[in-house]
Amino acid sequence: MATILLEVATPDKGEVFSKDINMLITRSICGELGILPKHARLLTELIPHAMRIKVDGGETQLFVGGGFMEVTPDKITILADSAESPDDIDVDRAKAAFKRAEERVSTYKSAPKSHEDIDIDRAEAALARAKARLLVKGVPIP
Amino acid sequence: MANLQHIRRRIKSVKNIQKITNAMDMIARSRFNAAREALLSNLPYVAKTKEIMRRVMTQMRGQEYEHPFVKTRADLIADQQEGAGKFLFIVIASDKGLAGSFSSNVFKEAHDTIEYDGTGESISTGEDDGDDENFHKKNFDALKGVKPVGTRTQKQQLQVSATGGIAKATARGGATGGNVNVAREYHDADYIDGIELITVGRRATTHFRQRGYNVIKSYHGISERPQYKYAKEIADLVVERFDSGEIIDVTLIYTQFKSAISCVPDDVTLLPIITDDFAKASATLKEEYIYEPDVVKILNDFLPRRLATRIYGAMLHSAASELSSRMNAMSNATDNAQELVGRLNLFYNKVRQAGITNEINEIVGGANALE
Repeated sequence: MATILLEVATPDKGEVFSKDINMLITRSICGELGILPKHARLLTELIPHAMRIKVDGGETQLFVGGGFMEVTPDKITILADSAESPDDIDVDRAKAAFKRAEERVSTYKSAPKSHEDIDIDRAEAALARAKARLLVKGVPIP
Repeated sequence: MANLQHIRRRIKSVKNIQKITNAMDMIARSRFNAAREALLSNLPYVAKTKEIMRRVMTQMRGQEYEHPFVKTRADLIADQQEGAGKFLFIVIASDKGLAGSFSSNVFKEAHDTIEYDGTGESISTGEDDGDDENFHKKNFDALKGVKPVGTRTQKQQLQVSATGGIAKATARGGATGGNVNVAREYHDADYIDGIELITVGRRATTHFRQRGYNVIKSYHGISERPQYKYAKEIADLVVERFDSGEIIDVTLIYTQFKSAISCVPDDVTLLPIITDDFAKASATLKEEYIYEPDVVKILNDFLPRRLATRIYGAMLHSAASELSSRMNAMSNATDNAQELVGRLNLFYNKVRQAGITNEINEIVGGANALE
């Protein structure tokens, strides 16, 4: 089966993933993308989510907290803000983060004018990250 | 004659200083390991960003995509001729001293870069202890002698070939006959007015404040352990000011970490990005990228990301350099103290022995007298 090299790097942990894979299923700001070997050159931005990586018939997941992806016919490069394998995800922390972010977002939404101190973009990004982390772990979202 | 108690006291104080320098050495050593680790794990990310950057820019060269960060050299020179905006310099140094010549090397590089215009009077250049009246002038003359354009251009070409440093060197009046008109002629006050600084590290802030520069933002307490969020903050600020047209040129001055014994101050131009420099590699790239959703959105995401990455990378380089300089300085100080203690001990013993000999002589003399 044809393969394509996938490389994932983060600013803090260096290269966290580097392997020949069969297919990558990932979510960009425009929607879900499936990338097979010999894909056309592509540049896009990723949202926080769990990527699905298909290798040798099996499938693994890798969480990325947003980032940037470049695809060339023989290589996928992902510059991720953060990346974790499902085993490394701290469920309690993600739950706490989810709760915090959700509160902030709903407070803001209830009265945007009086809560201008809330950085809504940041809160929503945090919410998306926490949600994606919980999804990877199969934890039901309250 | 030296007094024994006096010497004892001196030995003790040297030993105490030695203890302190030794402790600082060990602290720097352990922090250095952490800093080097952080730097090493950042390198692949920086390298990949750079690679993508190169490919994207190579592509952009042929096309006429408009993006405010990306300019051709001709555009840049025209901008600078108009004198429409300010120059921004980001200087990364340390919070604390006692790191040998680490900070002063950075400042020297910074002054060389900031004040480099080849014409007019140079303003307060030099090192912290520049108490020599003529120092500035001498320094400037030396500067003029050393880097009229030829050498400077070469040096810049090597260091920042990808970022348009050459254009700046020439546009600032650097050099070649034809470009002299492009030089901005600054009077000191005007010159300083046209410059803004962002400093990282307390020493950098005080150094440039004292010299009357306009420091628009400074970061303290993060020089040894940089965090990505601060780099992001700086990048956001830079992007905002660049977008609004207040600044037209951003240069980063930091210390590049090469090895534990070699750290070299370096300056790179961050913005604007000059497409001309990406020309050579273009032959190999024929296929076009698909941009999802579109090229503007992607560049708006990618270029600031690249900016933050470079700033963060420079911070990590600087942190590793600072700690390794401190390590070297402190271990030298400890060795020197050791040597001094040895010499003082020898002296102490000599004085003691002289005293004893003297006493014996007196006794023998007294006994002889009695006979």
